[in-house]
Amino acid sequence: MGWETDHAPRQDELDGCVTCGLCLPHCPTFRLTGSESASPRGRLAAMAAVAAGTAEVDERFEEVMGLCLQCRACEPVCPSVVPFGRAMEGARAEIAVQLPTRRRKLRAWLLGRVLPSRTAVRVASMLAAFAQRLRLHKLPIRLLSRIGGLRRLPLGGPSRAGESRTAAGERVGTAALLIGCVQDAWFGSVNEAAMELLTAAGYDVSAPSGQSCCGALAAHDGAAAATERLAATNVAAFANYDVVVATAAGCSAHLAGYGEWASGGEELADRARDITVVVAEAIADGRLPRLPPRAISVAMQDPCHLRHAQNVVGETREIVSAAGYEPVEIDDKGLCCGAAGAYVLSQPKTSDELGLHKANQVRASEATIVASANPGCEMQLRFHLGDRYDVRHPIELYAEACRGFS
Amino acid sequence: MTLAADLRLVLGADRVLDHPLDLQIYAKDAGVTPGTVAAVVFPETTQEVAAVVRIAVVHEVPIVARGAGTGLSGGAVPTRPGLVVALTRLNQIWEVDEAAHTAWVGPGVINLELSQHTTPLGLHYAPDPSSQSACTIGGNVGTNAGGPHCLAEGSTVSHILAVELVTAGGDVLLLGGAAPDPIGLDLVGVVVGSEGTMGLVTKVLVKLTENAPEVRTLLLAFPTIEAAAETVSSVVAGGIVPAALELMDRPMIEAVENFKSCGFPLDAAAVLIAEVAGHPAAVEAEAQLVADAGAAAGATEIRIAATAAERDLIWLGRKSAFGAVAYAAPDYYLHDTVVPRTRLVEAMSGIYEIGERYGISMLNVFHAGDGNLHPLVAFDAKEPGMLEKVRAAADEMVKLSIEVGGALSGEHGIGLEKRDLMGEMFSAVDLDAQARLRDAFDPIGILNPDKVLPEGSRCFDFGLVANLDPESAA
Repeated sequence: MGWETDHAPRQDELDGCVTCGLCLPHCPTFRLTGSESASPRGRLAAMAAVAAGTAEVDERFEEVMGLCLQCRACEPVCPSVVPFGRAMEGARAEIAVQLPTRRRKLRAWLLGRVLPSRTAVRVASMLAAFAQRLRLHKLPIRLLSRIGGLRRLPLGGPSRAGESRTAAGERVGTAALLIGCVQDAWFGSVNEAAMELLTAAGYDVSAPSGQSCCGALAAHDGAAAATERLAATNVAAFANYDVVVATAAGCSAHLAGYGEWASGGEELADRARDITVVVAEAIADGRLPRLPPRAISVAMQDPCHLRHAQNVVGETREIVSAAGYEPVEIDDKGLCCGAAGAYVLSQPKTSDELGLHKANQVRASEATIVASANPGCEMQLRFHLGDRYDVRHPIELYAEACRGFS
Repeated sequence: MTLAADLRLVLGADRVLDHPLDLQIYAKDAGVTPGTVAAVVFPETTQEVAAVVRIAVVHEVPIVARGAGTGLSGGAVPTRPGLVVALTRLNQIWEVDEAAHTAWVGPGVINLELSQHTTPLGLHYAPDPSSQSACTIGGNVGTNAGGPHCLAEGSTVSHILAVELVTAGGDVLLLGGAAPDPIGLDLVGVVVGSEGTMGLVTKVLVKLTENAPEVRTLLLAFPTIEAAAETVSSVVAGGIVPAALELMDRPMIEAVENFKSCGFPLDAAAVLIAEVAGHPAAVEAEAQLVADAGAAAGATEIRIAATAAERDLIWLGRKSAFGAVAYAAPDYYLHDTVVPRTRLVEAMSGIYEIGERYGISMLNVFHAGDGNLHPLVAFDAKEPGMLEKVRAAADEMVKLSIEVGGALSGEHGIGLEKRDLMGEMFSAVDLDAQARLRDAFDPIGILNPDKVLPEGSRCFDFGLVANLDPESAA
């Protein structure tokens, strides 16, 4: 009965909810089901029931928490500023400890050990690259079919770990690049664009080799010990840089919450930025150029962990405009695309419904290029949109446009 | 067969919840009193609602309709183990008649989303409760909801032309119609505000209102709450009816600004939000009149929203007020009394005095234009005896409002929270008449029992039946 770990939802977090219900229409799973049990307010009520001793961490509790995408769309609309994402990570950590299944232990191992291992990710990437060439993603197996959402992978390729470059022009500071786990292997050109733009904007850039996966996926799954270990590794690796830059929205949002997971984490969180914020700032300062317009539309997809968790919306539009494109809005609510990290595999039905909805919003815009600043969203969009659409990170679009002009 | 098993036969396993955790989740709406839930169902059609009602009748389980659960009076909370019928999935906008300015919608349609849907036609749905981004049309019909803009436009009842209703017997009725003055008894008026005690509303024909060609929103800051209230009186006495006149006191301003910087001055004792809408020339003159009235009462700042974004921010601040209360305390008890505008200042000082006497923390935000007060008591329900203390203070505030010639509730409904104060407003004979009307719709008393009317409302309960029942009199 009750909570068993230090990460559990805290009483002040639960008391923060005055049950007004203004979060409900912003929650993707409430929109799909109309059910209070699939809403932020309902989930907090369930946590409060456990805290009060009137409910247990049982299978139904796990289901109720498991359906949450952790998109945090409820946070910016909450007048009482409940830190819902934090409380949900706490609830997941409790589930992991109180209902330890073999499946969850396997996941904790995958997210805590395999994903942060560059060798393991390289091997997996190579296998996926072969699978792509053999067109195995056409087989009716969910995990394999998702390879269809990946960019065409190289059979091998360099990691950026350990690389460093010096600022071009006037130096404004030092930047460390979090190369990420899958970002390094699968989205190398995004990290390449980041390094180019950061040096052009006046940063000495390094990708310290001692760094690890940020731990966001482990935290979302309740693998608290792994999350703490990964956070501590990164706190050490990223000391002494002016800014720490992540190229995936999920990573930058997680770095912003490092205070929860490691000593010194708060200090790192203060220096952490999403690449889109740093690049937009440099464009506004005139350290990076604005390129002439060329009448091509780009559909803007907001990763939840940029829009809802970090209130970053205008920055991506700025970057896409500076690249010469016309940003087109597809969704004024910023509803989650359903990728949500490992959710795409753990909750296939909901994930597919939201993915199809998002794809239809893109199709309605008539743009064939889509800008998305998070690898999970990108894969989900490509999977649901098909080959006719070009889904790219906004800084990639911008870096490419800059290359064409230099 | 059990209730849940019968329901699953009709709706399937996914659309019936009866796990103890779900029942706890559904035990409350946005009010403070929890109830007891037997099961929750999610019908998707009128026929399914009717089927669910018939099953509940067979099992003799009370039926409580629920929309988004943003109600503040416990109207969607079953008092005895009851069946919660969530109408959130009846959320289709069936038909918008652009020429007639009407729309047929499901009860689960979200208030604000209806207005967003009709924006391209230059139309909106006028009643705008503060919870309009979340609350449903069905819930609005149930409580006869109001909102800041009901000062000029009237509350929900003025905007509902017809409803489709599932009765306690499982029959489907169509009440009202598209004609402006339908023939026969005004049964739509009976259903609106009846909080699910007359039947379950499964479709609604709403009136749509043309968007005003010009809107001006003013924010006025005052050194005292009395000066703000005085401005309200003189604006209305000046012969204009602004689209909205909203007042917030300092504790409320602080709570809202903690959520989002909406530009409310933190050093003011009160702010007044005034909106005028209509023909550009009239708007210009009326805005000036409001500004002059404010200046005369000693306003320290008068600001006119220059852009739509600035206007939206002011309204976001106002409409986030209730939800922002956690800044002060984890729970809140909200009043909804109405006082005559002319006695606003007097009523406000009385209410502050009661709050001080009970030593409770209070925040105020209300529809000043129509004297609809929302004193909001912030407290921690986990503190023993606190809820009782808050309720006692609440009763005094309601009695005070009625004493100065006001009413128990403006727009949130009676539900559970205000039910036992109905006797302050109505005589035994009044209540008996209401109870009989209710019995005509629901003779077996299965629809949201224990709500709205206090126990003993029927004269039968008083032993007065011989005087009033025509049969026994004969």
